[in-house]
Amino acid sequence: MRGRRGGGRLRRKLESFRAGLGAMARRAGRQRRAAGGGSAALPSLPSFEDEADEAPEEVSFDVARAAAETERKIAGEAARRHRELLKEKRRRREELFKEQKRKKLLPEAVLQELAAAPPGRQSEVTHAADQDEHPEDGPARQSEGHVPGQLKKDKPKGTRSKGNYMAVHLKDQSLTGLHQQTAKDFLYTHLYGAGTNRTHANEFFSLENKKNPVKKAAVQFVDKSWGLEEKQKAMKFKKCWLAAKMKSLV
Amino acid sequence: MGEFEVHRVRFFSYVPAGVRCLAYHRRTDRLALARTDGAVEVYNFAANYFQEKAIPGHEARTVEALCWAAGDRLFGAGLGGDVSEYDLERLRVKRSVDGFGGPIWSMAANAGGTRLAIGCEDGSVKLFHVVPDGVQFERNLDRQQGRVLCLSWHPSETHIAAGSVDLLRVLDVGSGRTVQRIMVNYHVQKSKKRECVVWSVAFLSSGTVVSSDSFGRLQFWDWERGTLLESHTVSTSAVLSLAVSEKEDSIVVGTSAGATYQFQLLPVKMGSQDKHWVRTKPFQHHTHDVRAVAHSPTALISGGLDAQLVIRPLMEKMQKKGYEAALRKFTFPHRRLVSCARKARLLLFQFSQHLELWKLGSTDESGKDGEVLPVCRAPEHLVQLKSKGPEHIYCSCVSPCGSWIAYSTASRFHLYRAQYEGDSVSIKKVANVPKLLLPAYQLQCSADSGSLFVASDQGSVHVLQLLEPGGCKHLHTLRPPSGTPEAVYLLASSADGNWLAAASGDWEIHLYSLKRFKHHCTVPTYSCAVTALAIHPVTNNLVIAYSDQQLFEFSIPEKQYTAWSRTVQNSGLHKAWLERDSPITHIAFNPKNPSHILLHDVYMFCVLDKSLPLPDDSASLMNQSALKQLPETARKRQLHAFKICKKFQPLLFADLLDENCLVMVERPIMDIKTQLPPPIQQKKFGT
Repeated sequence: MRGRRGGGRLRRKLESFRAGLGAMARRAGRQRRAAGGGSAALPSLPSFEDEADEAPEEVSFDVARAAAETERKIAGEAARRHRELLKEKRRRREELFKEQKRKKLLPEAVLQELAAAPPGRQSEVTHAADQDEHPEDGPARQSEGHVPGQLKKDKPKGTRSKGNYMAVHLKDQSLTGLHQQTAKDFLYTHLYGAGTNRTHANEFFSLENKKNPVKKAAVQFVDKSWGLEEKQKAMKFKKCWLAAKMKSLV
Repeated sequence: MGEFEVHRVRFFSYVPAGVRCLAYHRRTDRLALARTDGAVEVYNFAANYFQEKAIPGHEARTVEALCWAAGDRLFGAGLGGDVSEYDLERLRVKRSVDGFGGPIWSMAANAGGTRLAIGCEDGSVKLFHVVPDGVQFERNLDRQQGRVLCLSWHPSETHIAAGSVDLLRVLDVGSGRTVQRIMVNYHVQKSKKRECVVWSVAFLSSGTVVSSDSFGRLQFWDWERGTLLESHTVSTSAVLSLAVSEKEDSIVVGTSAGATYQFQLLPVKMGSQDKHWVRTKPFQHHTHDVRAVAHSPTALISGGLDAQLVIRPLMEKMQKKGYEAALRKFTFPHRRLVSCARKARLLLFQFSQHLELWKLGSTDESGKDGEVLPVCRAPEHLVQLKSKGPEHIYCSCVSPCGSWIAYSTASRFHLYRAQYEGDSVSIKKVANVPKLLLPAYQLQCSADSGSLFVASDQGSVHVLQLLEPGGCKHLHTLRPPSGTPEAVYLLASSADGNWLAAASGDWEIHLYSLKRFKHHCTVPTYSCAVTALAIHPVTNNLVIAYSDQQLFEFSIPEKQYTAWSRTVQNSGLHKAWLERDSPITHIAFNPKNPSHILLHDVYMFCVLDKSLPLPDDSASLMNQSALKQLPETARKRQLHAFKICKKFQPLLFADLLDENCLVMVERPIMDIKTQLPPPIQQKKFGT
């Protein structure tokens, strides 16, 4: 059943191939005629011409031009339509994103509430938090006349300060963290980045072992974490093989 | 030697951190070393290269540069942006000052040790005055684009050379202006231009600036004209570090491929005045990047990311060939990282930020000498205790019964009560731990697990009583009568619970009576660091190992050295014993055989039998394999006190579980190396 269907497909393919060749030959003939009314067909392709043996239809130059023009026009229109479609799609997606962003934001009421909170108090809270974070840089901050104990008392007791959280001024910390990260990245790229010619420990030490007069176990067996995937694959294969074996025995 | 059933433990997955920077102090003959995890160590070369002090690291405190200033004060700076001073008596950061220039890449002290210059991420070089209580900001020098990766003072203290990416600058300290800019990359073709990082720089008194860069070159510049004097291509990979000897006639450089090279200033012809720098000696002691080198008057010192510290004495500087001229390699700390609960057969492993509790495996078979017995119960990982916060662990201990686990970080002390029901373990934190002065430098449980001794600073030891079911009480604080600023770093308690010995950083050993909580006596001071202490369970003799490999036995009840100790001192120890290069880190005893002392260092395990004669220098010290082949009668004549086994290497811990059962904790070097960051590929011919 299967074999027969496959054969059918093959035959169909062959036919289409032949048809394609025929078309090619026809086009070639037309060109030749346009060039100066050539007489003889190509000697190498006669056997395929047998289906379209009759003479090609006569087409005048004007008609052909008109046909080509309309064809071009149609193609242009299709491209324009396609572009418009894409534009529309993009616009719709942008709208969707805007909508999503709006959904993610806090509700309007909360935002208004935050904006309405007294600004002086907020800065004090951040200050207190700062002092808690850096107990050792006391002198610089204490000169401003804040006493941590007092500050804790006048934490805003607004509508939303019930939860056990504290506002912290993150700006300075994140800045030093960022600097440190860029410094570490610099170090990493120059020691281990592209062009530093690093190799894997396994390769490095195996090379040593290769030259060694006393051969030891390959390094990849030293670290148990290496080749885990291969080991698991091998285990799976073994299980499958065993199962197959058992089945065949039964 | 005696036959033992040995638990060969290889599951302690300890990986030491790589060496980041070194600072050698000529006057005190000490070397300060910082690791990539922020730990700082001090090695005392005079005390046989003993790792005298160790300050555990901190997650947020990386150390990029260390220097000695104002006598013997140690300063460090790192990517955290702080300049900090280390308290070498209390083993912690004494105080730190923000540099206000972002991460600090480099720091250098002037020749007098009165000022520090730091090179920052934002391209500024800042000067600090060293004042009695820390450092004080003095001024900013000319700021320019590009991080300042390395710094060096001119010996006359008038100029500073600073290296950054593609560029070398010379700054005038008086005016603070940049007086010379040297483009290091100038000679390279435009098409091949890559960033050239100047990793290290040195300013010689002749006005020559030496720079090492990521193209693998060591270059000598005339700073006044800004011209290149000499250029040596050392390696195809980067040259990460360089150090100059005090006489300025020798330079050591360390490369990314793990090699170190010595350059020497030598006359071109015999007797001529014209001298050139010549590459003389290559060494390949490391497998990974050598990020730090130092030059002592007699040795080249290098530290690599493979966590090794290598000290290579220079033969031409040595008077005679011998032990002094031998190469030294240190990979493991000279402290105990493992503690053992003998009765419960548990091991507690200390890592930088966590502890692991393992139960030893067991076997029900027996075999002949040298046989490997099959394990019927595999070793079991019971608990992993993670320390919270960024601080690393100072010390830890498990009680002999296995039910108490204690550890300390720089600011916190934790005590846990563990309960074992069948195969399950439950761990409960003991609340209301008495407030002690922290950190604790060493923890030790008494033999009956009833009390915990906490080594603290100023020579004091706190005695805590452990209460069932999960409580503790502060009983007493023992202090030396004379007082000392140094912290206690080794403890030993006697099996009968009467005596406690404590060794502090000034190498004094104090003995306390635990019955009356009183100072009993002081062991006569010896001019070397104490590396291990233990009190014999039967005779109450204190056995002391010093870093120059000497062994002493001190009778506590009689307050004097024992007769055996005196004979050892009179006849002297074997030469091969004295020439070992790693200190003894643990001493144990065999209660069945009171004359046996079990000792170990990284490369050997030794049973010292006091009843046998001491070997003289003509006999071989390691004679165990030779003895095996001799007939019984001849063997008797050849026996001597030191029975050494080198089968287990590198040995981090060895202890006696019961009369014929030993536990040996090994950490093969290869296991560590596979966990390290990737090394540089090296082309080997014929592979």
